[in-house]
Amino acid sequence: MPGRLNLWLHGTGAVLRKDLKLELRSRYILSTLLIFVASALLLVMLAVGREAISAKLQAGLLWIVILFTAALGLGRAFVAEEERGTILLLRLHTRPSMVYAGKLLYSFLLILAVNVILTGVFITLSGVEIALPGLLGVTLLLGTLGLAGVTTLLAAIIARTSRRGTLLPVLLFPLLIPLLLAAVDATEQSLTGGTPLLGGWAASMQSLVAMGSFAGVVISASVLLFDYVWVD
Amino acid sequence: MPRYYRAVRLIIISWLTLVLVGAFSFGGTWLNIPRINILEHTARNLYFHVPMWFTMMAITALSAFHALRCLKARSLTSDIRSRSAALVALCFGLLGLVTGSVWAHYTWYEGTNVWWNFDPKQTMAAVQVLIYGAYFALRGALDDPAKRARISAVYNLFAFTLVPFLLYVLPRQMESLHPGAEGNPAFSEITHPVMRLVFYPAVLGFIGLAWLLYTQRVRTQLLARRAEALDEEEW
Repeated sequence: MPGRLNLWLHGTGAVLRKDLKLELRSRYILSTLLIFVASALLLVMLAVGREAISAKLQAGLLWIVILFTAALGLGRAFVAEEERGTILLLRLHTRPSMVYAGKLLYSFLLILAVNVILTGVFITLSGVEIALPGLLGVTLLLGTLGLAGVTTLLAAIIARTSRRGTLLPVLLFPLLIPLLLAAVDATEQSLTGGTPLLGGWAASMQSLVAMGSFAGVVISASVLLFDYVWVD
Repeated sequence: MPRYYRAVRLIIISWLTLVLVGAFSFGGTWLNIPRINILEHTARNLYFHVPMWFTMMAITALSAFHALRCLKARSLTSDIRSRSAALVALCFGLLGLVTGSVWAHYTWYEGTNVWWNFDPKQTMAAVQVLIYGAYFALRGALDDPAKRARISAVYNLFAFTLVPFLLYVLPRQMESLHPGAEGNPAFSEITHPVMRLVFYPAVLGFIGLAWLLYTQRVRTQLLARRAEALDEEEW
C-alpha cells in the first residue's frame, strides 16, 4: 500500500522537521550540549594531566562523556512537548509510530552532530593518533543509533513521570552497559589499529555486530512498546 | 487461605530444611564432599550460590511475563504480580552477588584483598539488580495507579529484551574464572556426584522458596487493595 507508506513517511518527516526547526530557531539544546561537552572534556583532560593514558582508557573516557551528554540532552524530546502543552495536538494529529520515528531521527541527528564535534575536540585535545578513522566513524554511527534508540523510549517514559530531571540517567545507564562495552572495545581497536596478527576491523567485528543488533533490537522493542507510553 | 496452599508451603519448608541439613552435614560418611585444595568446604556454597542465579532468572522471566499481561489485559492484578516478582528477583540477585563475592574472595582471590572483580556473570547480576532498582525508582515517580502499571511494565519489558545482550556481549569483553566460561570446565564436568544429591534438591527448594515469597507478597497486596476499596465504600 504505497499510499499509507507515503502518509507515514510524510507524518514522520513533519515531526522531524518541526523538532529540527524549533531547535534551529532557539539552538537551546545544541548550545547547552556543546558547552557541556567542552567543559566535561576539559575536566577529563585536566584530571588526567600529562599522563600518557592507554587506548582502552581513552576510548572509555570518550564514551563516558558521550553517554553523559546523551543523558543530559536527549531527555528533553518529550518533556518539551508536555511543557509547551503541544502533546495533545501531536497525539490527535499523528499516529504513535510517526511520533516515535520522528523523535528517534531527531535524537539521532542531534546526538550525532554533538558526538562528531565531541570526538573532534577530544582528538585535538588529547593528541591521540587514530589508526583507523573509518572504523571510528562506523563505531560512532552505530553507537549513536543504539543510544538514540534507547533514549527516545525512555524520554517518552520520563515525560509521564513527576520527577523528570533526575530519572533519565537512572533508567538509562543500566540498559546501556552492553552498548558501552562493545563501543569502547571497537573504539580502542580503531585507535590502536589492532595487532599485526589481526587487523582492527577483524578484531572489532564482534563488537560492531553486537552494536548493530543492539540498535535493531532496541528500536524494534521501542516501536512495539511506544503505543502504551504514548496513548492514555 | 486454601488448604492446598498451606500443604505446598509445608512441603517447601520441610524440603528446604532437609536441603540445609544435607548442605551442612559435616564429618559423617553420608554426603561427605571431596576435599579439594583451596576450595575445601567452601564448595558447599554451590548449594546456595548457584540456585540463587537460577531462581533470579526464573523470577525475572515471571516478572516480564506479568508485565506483558499487564499491558495486554490492562489488569492491575498483573501489575501487582509483576512488581512482586521484581522485588523477589531483586532479593535473590543481591543474595547471589553476596554469596558469589564472598566465595570468590576466599577461593579465586585467596591471599589478596579483592572482594569484587568484573566477572561477566557477576556484572550481569549487578546490572539486573540496577535495572530493578531503576524500575522501583520509576514506580516511585508515578502517582496514578493505572499509569504506573502501564509505564513501569513498558520499562520492565524493555529491560528484559536486553538480557540476551548481557549474555552475549559481556563474556566476550571480560576474562573469567567462572566455571562454564570459555576455556573453563563446565559445572557438569567438575561436580562430584555426591554434591549433586544436595545441589538439585537445593535448586528446587530455592525456586520453591521464591514462589512462596512471591505468592505471599501478591496475596498481601491483593488483600491491601481490597481493604482500601472497603474503606472507600464506608466513607
